[in-house]
Amino acid sequence: MQRKQSEPFLSRYLHTKGRAKGLPIAGNFELTARCNFDCPMCYVHLKQEDVEARGRELTTEQWIGLAREARDAGMVFVLLTGGEPFVRKDFFEIYGAMKKMGLLVSINSNGSMLTGEIRQKLIEDPPFRVNVSLYGGCPETYRSMCGQDAFNRVVENIRCLKEAGIDVRINLSITGYNRQDMEKIWQISQELGVHVKAASYMFPSIRVNDEQFGQGDRLCPEDAAACAVRWDRLRFAPEEFAARARAMQALTAAESSDCPTELESGVRCRAGSTSFWMTWDGRMLPCGMMTWPVTRPLDVSFGEAWKQLRQKTAEIKSAPGCVNCPKKDVCSVCAASRVAETGSFEQVPEYICRYTDALIEKTWAAYQESEDEYHDH
Amino acid sequence: MIIKKDLIKRDIAGETVLVPCGKTIYDSNGLFILNELGAFLWDLLPTAEGEAELVSAVLAEYEVAEETARGDIGEFLDKLREMDII
Repeated sequence: MQRKQSEPFLSRYLHTKGRAKGLPIAGNFELTARCNFDCPMCYVHLKQEDVEARGRELTTEQWIGLAREARDAGMVFVLLTGGEPFVRKDFFEIYGAMKKMGLLVSINSNGSMLTGEIRQKLIEDPPFRVNVSLYGGCPETYRSMCGQDAFNRVVENIRCLKEAGIDVRINLSITGYNRQDMEKIWQISQELGVHVKAASYMFPSIRVNDEQFGQGDRLCPEDAAACAVRWDRLRFAPEEFAARARAMQALTAAESSDCPTELESGVRCRAGSTSFWMTWDGRMLPCGMMTWPVTRPLDVSFGEAWKQLRQKTAEIKSAPGCVNCPKKDVCSVCAASRVAETGSFEQVPEYICRYTDALIEKTWAAYQESEDEYHDH
Repeated sequence: MIIKKDLIKRDIAGETVLVPCGKTIYDSNGLFILNELGAFLWDLLPTAEGEAELVSAVLAEYEVAEETARGDIGEFLDKLREMDII
């Protein structure tokens, strides 16, 4: 069983104070779009050897300069991500400089390169956290999904970092290529003693092709919801799963209000209010899953770009159909998913409606099935 | 006094925050927030010979009874010792 990992109090406190003061408390630095894997659902997805892309990446000095400006503006948490950030030869130059600035640096990685010198350097100067994407529970799944037979190496690398005392988490993207491995992945995480953050909703890849609204190499919403329920049954104890199922029913039982609700802010998370995303080619976005609003700190300054981003993000509206939806307390829709699914922040994304309907229905069915089994015995 | 941990003092959102750096991440994987007195004392720690020096500095800076200052400073230093910071 795995409990939800709650955010430390001081982090929430600083975000709350930062929101009131308009500070960029957390930054995501996408150092590169290149990767040594070739996963179909990836939202950036360029080949490791892509020379043209490497030429457009920000330089070492530009990343360090941006980090310094962001630090001076209030940033304390930074996530280095990609692509695969370790394909950059200057990774440790950027990482080391950021740590010395008084930043808490986390890293997203596919885990395949955390061997030898890279692993040793991380152990000698540890990050705040390493989030490793585990794409399957066996070599065959890795071959079909990532184009590489890296399964054993990735698991071994997670084990070594964990044994060295580094805070490691597993990120799991559940797709049609790896859903058969969910139970194996759960078992591996339990053996390693590593928390897993799983998602079966995959954003359309509008970062790769801005005409792909609502499209992507992904499961249909009903199958994605079925995977989410399977994962919930693994991670929750039976009584917790039952409580969750009953809570979902209670939250969605209310009839849709006839009274028009005042439209709330379109972005309810921290994107564009206390956090930002820097793309590999120098654009600032509220979140890595959006393509708009965009500002350019290298053309103005970090402070000016952040100010513009906050203003533009505050203008984003919610979808009227979502605001009055009786399932809104169960639904995971957000500004980024609305725009990625429909091309507009103000439209209701049908894929997510179907996903939420299926999630509620399948959670309840699984709960009733387990109740019946209990009474039969 | 010797500060045993690698901690960087920063002002974030109006708070004085100690951010762990280097290998200190292994045993202090989180942030510390200092109150006004803590922030004042933190800057004096590396050069302070002992608690008496800190008390004198606080009495020179703040309008406070010596007994109160001594108590607050003792409490602060005890917390730092508890966390193996000094």
